[in-house]
Amino acid sequence: MSPELIIALLAAAVQAGTPILYATLGEIISEKSGVLNLGVEGVMAFASFAGFFVCLVTGSAWLGFLAGGLSGALLCGLHSLVCQVFLGNQVVSGLALAIFGVGLSTFFGTPFVGQSTEGFAKFALPGLAKLPVLGPILFQQDALVYLCYLMPVAVWLFLERTSLGLRLRAAGEMPAAAAAAGLNPRMLRALGTMAGGFLCGLGGAYISLAHMHLWATGLSGGRGWVAVALVVFAFWRPGRAALGAFLFGGFMAFQLRLQATGTNIPSSLLLMLPYALTILALVAPAVRARAAKGGAGAAPAALGVNIEPEG
Amino acid sequence: MAEASTKTPHCTPRADIGCVDVLPQVRLCGVSKRFGRVLASDDISLSIMPGRIKALLGENGAGKSTLMSMLAGRFRPDAGHIEVAGAVVDFDSPRQAIAAGIGMVYQHFMLVENMSVAENVLLGQEGGFALNPARMRATVDALSRRFGLGIDARARVGDLSMGERQRVEILKLLYRESKVLIFDEPTAVLTPPEAESLFAALRSMSAQGKAIVFISHKLEEVLSVADEIAILRRGRIEGEFLASEVQSPAELARRMVGRDVVLDIPREPVQPGRVVLDVRGLSGNGLGDVNLSLRQGEILAVVGVAGNGQQQLVETICGLARPEAGTVELLGHVWDEFYKHRDWDGALAWVPEDRAGLATCRTLDLTDNLLLTTREGFTRGVWLDRARARAAARDIVREHNVQPGRIGLQAWQLSGGNLQKFVLGRELSRRPRLLVAEQPTQGLDIPATEAVWQRLLDARKSTGVLLVTGDLSEALALADRVAVLFRGRVLGQFPVTDTAQVERIGALMAGLEGGAL
Repeated sequence: MSPELIIALLAAAVQAGTPILYATLGEIISEKSGVLNLGVEGVMAFASFAGFFVCLVTGSAWLGFLAGGLSGALLCGLHSLVCQVFLGNQVVSGLALAIFGVGLSTFFGTPFVGQSTEGFAKFALPGLAKLPVLGPILFQQDALVYLCYLMPVAVWLFLERTSLGLRLRAAGEMPAAAAAAGLNPRMLRALGTMAGGFLCGLGGAYISLAHMHLWATGLSGGRGWVAVALVVFAFWRPGRAALGAFLFGGFMAFQLRLQATGTNIPSSLLLMLPYALTILALVAPAVRARAAKGGAGAAPAALGVNIEPEG
Repeated sequence: MAEASTKTPHCTPRADIGCVDVLPQVRLCGVSKRFGRVLASDDISLSIMPGRIKALLGENGAGKSTLMSMLAGRFRPDAGHIEVAGAVVDFDSPRQAIAAGIGMVYQHFMLVENMSVAENVLLGQEGGFALNPARMRATVDALSRRFGLGIDARARVGDLSMGERQRVEILKLLYRESKVLIFDEPTAVLTPPEAESLFAALRSMSAQGKAIVFISHKLEEVLSVADEIAILRRGRIEGEFLASEVQSPAELARRMVGRDVVLDIPREPVQPGRVVLDVRGLSGNGLGDVNLSLRQGEILAVVGVAGNGQQQLVETICGLARPEAGTVELLGHVWDEFYKHRDWDGALAWVPEDRAGLATCRTLDLTDNLLLTTREGFTRGVWLDRARARAAARDIVREHNVQPGRIGLQAWQLSGGNLQKFVLGRELSRRPRLLVAEQPTQGLDIPATEAVWQRLLDARKSTGVLLVTGDLSEALALADRVAVLFRGRVLGQFPVTDTAQVERIGALMAGLEGGAL
């Protein structure tokens, strides 16, 4: 492969990884607060439509992006209602949300199939775009990709360096301790779920507004499930999530190129490649890290466990 | 002292309890709380004074925890009211109680294991949106130094011992400048030296003007640490005294349970029979050259501070871990042979320390819990004979006075003492020739302890009992011989009648005298 081709491949990898990174970070926030949200796929599917629709109506890509996030938060509010108020099973509620969100996007989206939108255009970041190799890969993208570079740091700062982040983590590790400290762990969990849903929604909106620039059914294409899996392999750490998301994006782009070259490897095998390789790449160090140090890379202690009323 | 349990609506606690001219930090006035048909608190009036340690003494289920949960804002009283520094308060949530200066150290620590000490201490009181880890650590370290608690703010709570975790809980309260510190059975999880240092910390905090409430059912520690003692029985205050007024622990015990307690159980001598357990040179898995031998008719107590190899020893004897080096012979068979074809009855029975986890399944009813270890006795072909199992469960419940005596109840619905009586009854129904009893009375109240002790003494007529305990008085009350375990080694083994050796047990437990075997 020529250097130009490799650079183009890596640039495509960054773009493919971006929506997954948004969603993975969202799911990290949700799980850190103790709520397993398996509905990411549905949230992304619906948000990709909501973003597209608002952009189409208002003509503003940024409003569309925001609408994607808000619709994600709204759907996850439903998950919060089921799990925090009615103490429903998180797994069942999450799966229902996944199906519901995808269905909803198809229901509302069918009349718009095939319509396209301007969305976000790529522009070179002044200065940085001139860097050799890195410039064309990282800094000739759209605004949402640049924003996404900041997100792992922002999420890490939020979780580790703010009082709200500390409280969210306490609700995910030991809700009783949070309650004894005078906090409301259910409220915190609802907040964590919806904040996470907002990020998942941003990821969904990215697909329709900046990646595809059009609306079609099934646009999310399983990225939500990838995000849920990446959270585990990333040890709930934003930095590792970025690594995993872009790795997956890389394999995705590579697989597409390979198909385009007309190789005689069956396409279904190629489609599988990104999933298999990403898991392999992340599992190996994970196994080593767990063996070396207990506790590191463990799930939040109360993940998926509902807060039962006492008395 | 009948006037202490007043029926009048106004607060008239005994005038000579506490300093008369000082306003109580907290005052409970005629507080009642009902759960369903149970009156957990019945018209309780109490004054909690600054600079004093008040012990609240009562059996399990006497209503101690309910009372304190109301103070901590977790429940609201149905009748009566609570005053803080003279003003009536009405707590909706723990947050309000914390704000009013009332802090609680629960029996099960409310700590996030995966966070640092500093994060745990400041949780909910961070002061500002952005956190500054360096300043958080400095604050907590300074506080720890000021009260001599010796906790590193940087440490991860999950890496700390139980005693250290408790001090983290205390730090949380001190950081919030709580004026009243409530301790719910604080020594239940502590080793004797840790309990001593806790008492020192309590006295130092009380000297600095904090009001301390100490909930317990252990008479000795209440007498050693408290200034004032209030006795709670069946949700009512049965009496309130100054600790200096108390003539004898037996008197206190009688008031607490409402009848005389036979803590000194008469033991009839039993002729030792054949050897049922023979451990020779057992090593590996944290143990070092352990030699023990136990005969039918004997109780051998293995004492030591928790974590000195008791668990490994018991797991090896009870078949969970294969001996790495040395031999273990059970009922005359070597380990491999014994566990290849072991009988469910007439052989080995085990009362594990973790009665709610290892010994029973919390959401199974008593019949199913009986079947956990005795199902071989209730099978017909591939089928379980549940009718016969239910009858057997009913027998155990009746014979061992398990309350409430309905076999359809699930394990979690029983109190710790009653569950323990059931487990012991189940294991004895297997007619063992070797019985391993691990911390059999931990957390039990006095009548339940008495019942368990009596059963163990009765059992030794047909059984050799290996009693693993951290409670020295239990070992001395029951055992024929004592073995002291320290860091996986047996540091001393002698009959309880050897008073010179018995004197040394404390030093041996602490590993101070390791030489003489």
